Amino acid sequence: MSGTRDRLITALLALWTVLVLVLLYVPILSVVLASLANTRYMRFPHKVWTLDAYRDALGQYTTAELHLTSLKIAVLVALIAVLLGVFGALAFARFEWRGRSLYQRLLLLPIFFPQAVLGLALLLAMTAAGITPSWRTAVFAHLVWVVPIVTLVISIRLYGFDVAQEEAAFDLGASRLQVFREVTLPALSPGIVSGGLFAFLLSWSNLPLSIFTTGSDTTLPLWLFSRTATNYSPLVPALAVIATGASVLVVLAAALALAGWRRLVARRSA
Amino acid sequence: MRHRISPGFLAMLPVMALIVLGFALPILLVFLYSLMPPRTFSLAGDPTLANYRAAVTEGYLLPLGWSLGLAGLTTLVCLVLAWPTAKALVRFAGRFATLATILIALPIFISESVRLFGTALFMMPGGGIFAGSLNALFGLKIGSILYTRTATLLGMVYIHFPFMLFPMVLGLSLVPQDQIEAARDLGARPFQVFREIELPLALPGITVGTLLTFVLSLGANAEAAILGGQAVIVITKAIEQRFGYAQDWPSGAALTVLVILVTAAVIFPVLRRVDLDRLIRR
Repeated sequence: MSGTRDRLITALLALWTVLVLVLLYVPILSVVLASLANTRYMRFPHKVWTLDAYRDALGQYTTAELHLTSLKIAVLVALIAVLLGVFGALAFARFEWRGRSLYQRLLLLPIFFPQAVLGLALLLAMTAAGITPSWRTAVFAHLVWVVPIVTLVISIRLYGFDVAQEEAAFDLGASRLQVFREVTLPALSPGIVSGGLFAFLLSWSNLPLSIFTTGSDTTLPLWLFSRTATNYSPLVPALAVIATGASVLVVLAAALALAGWRRLVARRSA
Repeated sequence: MRHRISPGFLAMLPVMALIVLGFALPILLVFLYSLMPPRTFSLAGDPTLANYRAAVTEGYLLPLGWSLGLAGLTTLVCLVLAWPTAKALVRFAGRFATLATILIALPIFISESVRLFGTALFMMPGGGIFAGSLNALFGLKIGSILYTRTATLLGMVYIHFPFMLFPMVLGLSLVPQDQIEAARDLGARPFQVFREIELPLALPGITVGTLLTFVLSLGANAEAAILGGQAVIVITKAIEQRFGYAQDWPSGAALTVLVILVTAAVIFPVLRRVDLDRLIRR
């Protein structure tokens, strides 16, 4: 009896999960569907299905400019976040030191904080300090939120790291720098790569911090946000699809580069 | 002999510098501004509580109330929706669960603007994806919930669902399966198993998910802007208006402090107790 019931529950849970997945992707599919029209107003189902909006979007200077601004910010955020995150993670998970527990909790505060409120606080602070908000200040704002996340991601990797490897290297006469470069860093590299990708994607897609900290510069999510309310045309969903596709491309490129680099290292050490 | 500074202390310095400069200092500044006379732009004025009084008398507690209410409801709905999903992901450990996990996580990296915009396109009356399809397929004409509070709530649930789900999965995966089976063998009913075993053991994960969802949705403003139309003014919107349009920094700062206080009241008691090493180390 309990066997049939168990099977029923399992089936229901599977069905539920599929339903959740469908619901999660309905809005994303909606954007793609809306981009395939050529009418100024949404009249679904479209009379004519066309890629005109994509041709338009790719031909516009705004498209390139928006992508460039978002890319500039996201790349800088990823690089700086990884650099700070490696050291942050060493302090978080590798070393035993007085104050570590307090540090672990302080680090979480920016994550457990409403982002838009952080953006507003930063805007007030910057204006009071006489700093004009621009894409540069957006990099800083993103970092405040992204660095703690990257630190956590690398820390998770560090928890699985065997300290004995470092000690062995020291015993064999390696210097502190050598140990860090040849033992610790390679062991951390999966965490560093996923941390960097996290940082890039979170910055690329961020809206609540960017709204208040970019000044007159505009990122992709910001432009989309402003155009959802006014000035609708199929160009808007088309650009949303292009922007999302661009981030997928970056992730794929990073994955490929990493695979190539691994092969290179493997060949060199063989 | 040189006094040795621990390497852990040195390693945390850059990150802490960023948090002090980009988090603690701005919050301190907001706090100081909230005590300045209304409509002033320097910190040299005499401290006053006028802004907090004005926040109460001029009706700014209403947007705060809306944000609190929406955040509370979002958290509740996410709890209910995430529980069976988390159970499924833990029960089906394997290829299906991995695929489902990746598919649920991916949208986090697609901008909120895109996802909420898509929700609006789906809900639009007349020629929207949903209404248009129904009309074309079955000749059905339906109304729309776009630009209502319900739509705002749905958008908030949609955006924050993963933040509830993943900590919950983490917590639930800590519950030993044989303990559940032992309880069942001893005659425990499903609800007893849930209340006496699953819930207490998975509680750290559920708590983290609940906190994250509540705090993040407390500051949510894109949902109300894209899906809510004029139906609801959330606290972030009200603060933005005080800072920008009204050019009243101290008044905006006072409202910001109120949100920060609510956040702190929710976060601090829990953060003190959760054992991070145990939750993160797998």
